Amino acid sequence: MHHPRSFWRGYLFFGGFFMTPLVSGWLLGRGFRALEHGSTGRVYAIAAGLAVAESCRMASLYIGVLGWVRSMSHMATFLRANMLEAQLVSGGALAGTPAGSAREAIPHFRDDVDDVIQLIDGALDLSYGLVFLAIGSFILARMNAPATAALVLPLLAIGVGARLLDGRIKRYRALDRAAASAVTGLVGDLMAAATTVKVNAATDAVTARLATLTEVRRHTAVRDRVLDEGVQALGRGVSNVAFGLALLVSAKALSEGRFGAPQMAVMVGYLGWLSFVPRIAGRVMARRKQAGVAIERMSWLVARNESANLVLDQDLPIEAHQDRPRRRPRRPERVSLERLDVIDLSARFPGGSGVGPVSLSLPRASFTVVTGPIGSGKTTLLRALLGIATNTSMSGEVRWNGRTLDDRAAFLVPPNAAFLPQVPQLISDTLADNIALGSVTDEVLAHALHLAELEHDIAAMGAGTSTLIGPRGLRLSGGQRQRVATARALVHLPELVVLDDLSSALDVETEVRLWDNLADAGMTVLAVSHRAVAFERADQVLHLEGGVLR
Amino acid sequence: MSEPRTRWRALGALLRPDLRRWVVLGALVAAAAALGLAGPLVVRRIIDQASHGATVSTLAWMAGLYLILAAVAQILDLGGVWAATTSAWKTTNGIRVTMARHVLGLDHEFHRTHTPGELIQRVDGDVTAVSNFLSLVVPKALGALFLVTGMVGVLAVLDWRLAIGALGYLAGLAVTLRRGRHRAVREMQDEMSALAKLYGGIEERLTASEDLRALGASQHAMSRFVDESAGAMATSVNSERAFIGLWWRIQGALSVGHVIALVTAAILVPRGTITLGTAFLLLQYVDLMERPLADMINQLEVVQKASGAMIRVVDLLERQSTIADTGTTPWPPGAPTIEFGDVSLRYAGDDEAVLEQVDLVLPAGQTVGVVGRSGSGKTTLSRLVLRLVEATTGEVRLGGVPIADLPLAELRGHVALIPQEVELFGGTVRDNVTLFAAADDADVAEALRRAGLPELATDLDRPLAAGGTGLSAGEAQLIALARVWLRNPDLIVLDEATARIDPQTEARINAAVAELCHGRTVVIIAHRLSTLSDVDRIVVVDDGRVVEHGERSALAADHDSHFARLLRVGLEVDRDTVG
Repeated sequence: MHHPRSFWRGYLFFGGFFMTPLVSGWLLGRGFRALEHGSTGRVYAIAAGLAVAESCRMASLYIGVLGWVRSMSHMATFLRANMLEAQLVSGGALAGTPAGSAREAIPHFRDDVDDVIQLIDGALDLSYGLVFLAIGSFILARMNAPATAALVLPLLAIGVGARLLDGRIKRYRALDRAAASAVTGLVGDLMAAATTVKVNAATDAVTARLATLTEVRRHTAVRDRVLDEGVQALGRGVSNVAFGLALLVSAKALSEGRFGAPQMAVMVGYLGWLSFVPRIAGRVMARRKQAGVAIERMSWLVARNESANLVLDQDLPIEAHQDRPRRRPRRPERVSLERLDVIDLSARFPGGSGVGPVSLSLPRASFTVVTGPIGSGKTTLLRALLGIATNTSMSGEVRWNGRTLDDRAAFLVPPNAAFLPQVPQLISDTLADNIALGSVTDEVLAHALHLAELEHDIAAMGAGTSTLIGPRGLRLSGGQRQRVATARALVHLPELVVLDDLSSALDVETEVRLWDNLADAGMTVLAVSHRAVAFERADQVLHLEGGVLR
Repeated sequence: MSEPRTRWRALGALLRPDLRRWVVLGALVAAAAALGLAGPLVVRRIIDQASHGATVSTLAWMAGLYLILAAVAQILDLGGVWAATTSAWKTTNGIRVTMARHVLGLDHEFHRTHTPGELIQRVDGDVTAVSNFLSLVVPKALGALFLVTGMVGVLAVLDWRLAIGALGYLAGLAVTLRRGRHRAVREMQDEMSALAKLYGGIEERLTASEDLRALGASQHAMSRFVDESAGAMATSVNSERAFIGLWWRIQGALSVGHVIALVTAAILVPRGTITLGTAFLLLQYVDLMERPLADMINQLEVVQKASGAMIRVVDLLERQSTIADTGTTPWPPGAPTIEFGDVSLRYAGDDEAVLEQVDLVLPAGQTVGVVGRSGSGKTTLSRLVLRLVEATTGEVRLGGVPIADLPLAELRGHVALIPQEVELFGGTVRDNVTLFAAADDADVAEALRRAGLPELATDLDRPLAAGGTGLSAGEAQLIALARVWLRNPDLIVLDEATARIDPQTEARINAAVAELCHGRTVVIIAHRLSTLSDVDRIVVVDDGRVVEHGERSALAADHDSHFARLLRVGLEVDRDTVG
């Protein structure tokens, strides 16, 4: 549990808020008794007492809520942080299974986290509700035991009865979430592919598809909501029924004057919170199920899918007054590369397709080109080598200067190795930030710009390296994006550079200069390419076909 | 401030199509409110009758009546929930589709400046907030309205002074609540946009997760996440503070109500103006207010989210594309000529023009290759032809018709783009070729075969994930080619379309592309000159200007042309080898 101070302070003051009605209800009863007896002065005094009690209640609420909201924010943030970090770290014990699609992963960060927070919120309410139930019942029972039983028992029965619906609640919830994901997924695809939709004149068809998915979602949502609300409405409505029952069993006491307005006033004063108990209990039960689904789903994103890795405590400086120092990059020590050996490396997708076994050797400062037809496994080979071939079973080994790498994903990052994927992804930030992904000196940055043939482009931009490149780098041309990604891969002067079809978005002249720059920098290069210029410079050309070298 | 009016007008417009449904819902809610008011009247009689020595059976009978009223109110309540949820979803599903269509119609500039994550939040998140508002808040607000009106009516019948007192109390309540609400709505809006930024950032980092992993950049990304979380937290605390302000007002109102009920009773009961039973009725009526008010607090988050969301929905729907769709000229039949009449283009906020004074005529039915270094304006040229962007000055004409005179649907129905980065959709192979339109399976299969994907032609139901999981970049490219085959357009733009395809595959589809070009006007943008060996004409672009234009054979033969020079360099370095 994080930020225990604000958590417990919040908890304590919520207690004041929840318990004051015990006093207020009791005062109301005394007030009506005084009314019955015609002692007006006493009624005024009691009214004043009531005002004081209620004022205290509000003060405790203020302090309680603010502490609580901070504590909940911290909790939500570290859940999100654990998921995000598991998705972003390269190798190591905490690396999670990469999510298939970012758009579909977003509900884990938003809705699933909310579900867990709501459960904790509900648990707080429930803990006080139960205390209130015990004390309140005791006070009422001392006034009229049978009426109290008639009042409290139906409330509890509903609380228990609602639990019978738990299985159904969970099922409906899961179906609704799936339907919601389908809608969000399509909306996300459409928003990302607006141009594709436009130029294919597909707006009508895709919106019709959206309409179908939203109708499915309506059905699942109505079922989910009606059941959820129904359980709650039952808890709420039962308070009137319970009061009616209490009146019914008290008919005799009423006619004899042993039961009347004063007793009823206490009942009415307590009834609000008493009926709250089964309602909140039902809600907590339902949320426990929802939160269970949520935790399970969130665990998909963290290491070994273990929920323990989801709730790792993290002290994140998110308070307004806290300093937020840049995190130090978690990178391995540079180990100068003399020779890289790949031995019987293979990576198989569940269907059996894939690459390998492949063996190859890269001496220091050599230039190796991998070529081969579409679907021959070139990209998979590079990713297997780097230890990031997700969704495959990998075997074989990679040796760095003869030493076998146990955790390739952790070791083969800058400054040891850098990877440039076929379709590099940039983020909406400044150009410098996209390249450095952290802090580097101006000289280092300038050198990277030079290596990636970006100097000319940067000079033409008004803001230079501070230029904002827009969402996913869309303010840049395709070639510029590719070269920014190249600069990003080269900025730490890695020992080994792995390039997946660098030339695909570059014109011939730029590409020639780029190969020259890489050679001049003395880097060991492994590149997928189909161009003569690459073959001519290569120390070895490997031809991959059907997943094996030919 | 015109902002609330906009919201109410927006709400009215949203509800109108399903008006009858909402009226039925209103009736259900009104009946439930009436039963709620009747219960305390029964209790009042019990108290007064008991003090006048009523028999046990009379009292028991009245208690039974109270019990029945409570049970029936319960059933009506559930009916209301069902009706409200159904209506809300029907209504908002319509909005969701309208918004998606609207956003898809907005211009390139809009999409360039908004992340997909942000747009998902608008089209999906915000509309869901509105839906929650309609299903949760609207029926409860209606119920509260009926309850309050009925309450004042009942009190007026009992004693006019009580009704006046109740009116004063309610007016005070309304004024206090209104004041707190405005601040809460503002703070909530800030919180929502901070959250949109947080989720947008998370999505972007997840999209780039492979890059970030391979570059060991997790900690940098996490620093940004923490910054954005801090922003979200600050706004959460602010909005919670505003929220408590509101809670105070509501809880205060109830407490004050209790005190007022006691004091009123102390004054009126001893004089015999009202009975003890009526005094108890006052207490019960104050408590009756608790439920709608508590609902209001519980749902306030929904209200706040929806208030902001509704404003944003309306804002977005009111945002007009800079590409005005006012043309009425039908598409000139057949392959069009493409004319650029002194076209210049400068993106908003940029200093330098992307294109400057482009004057070109590309004859109908010919294939034109556009070459130039990256960033020279080639892609912008193609966007102009598709009217994804508008020329700042000058005019583009297709088949002699100024492009702005063609209705957009007409234009987009006859042109096609094969981009460098193909976007795939979550769905089957068929969905990805037809883009969810109805089409014959045989046609889809044929299109796939022609595009060079025979293996998928027999596997139309194979699921593909967004982002192209399960396909290589080259295969995704071929899917885009299949889309075009299926649509049979008159004008095609290939924007570096084969850049990511290996030479073997390229050779396989070059023939297919040549066949595709037959009888159409085709613009091929390429930096790989081998792609342009079969084109009729060549346009060389540099720094936003057309520096050369002519027949390919003539330019190739002219030793001094830019193109010939490129060919010399290109042949030297671009002799793509196969095998």
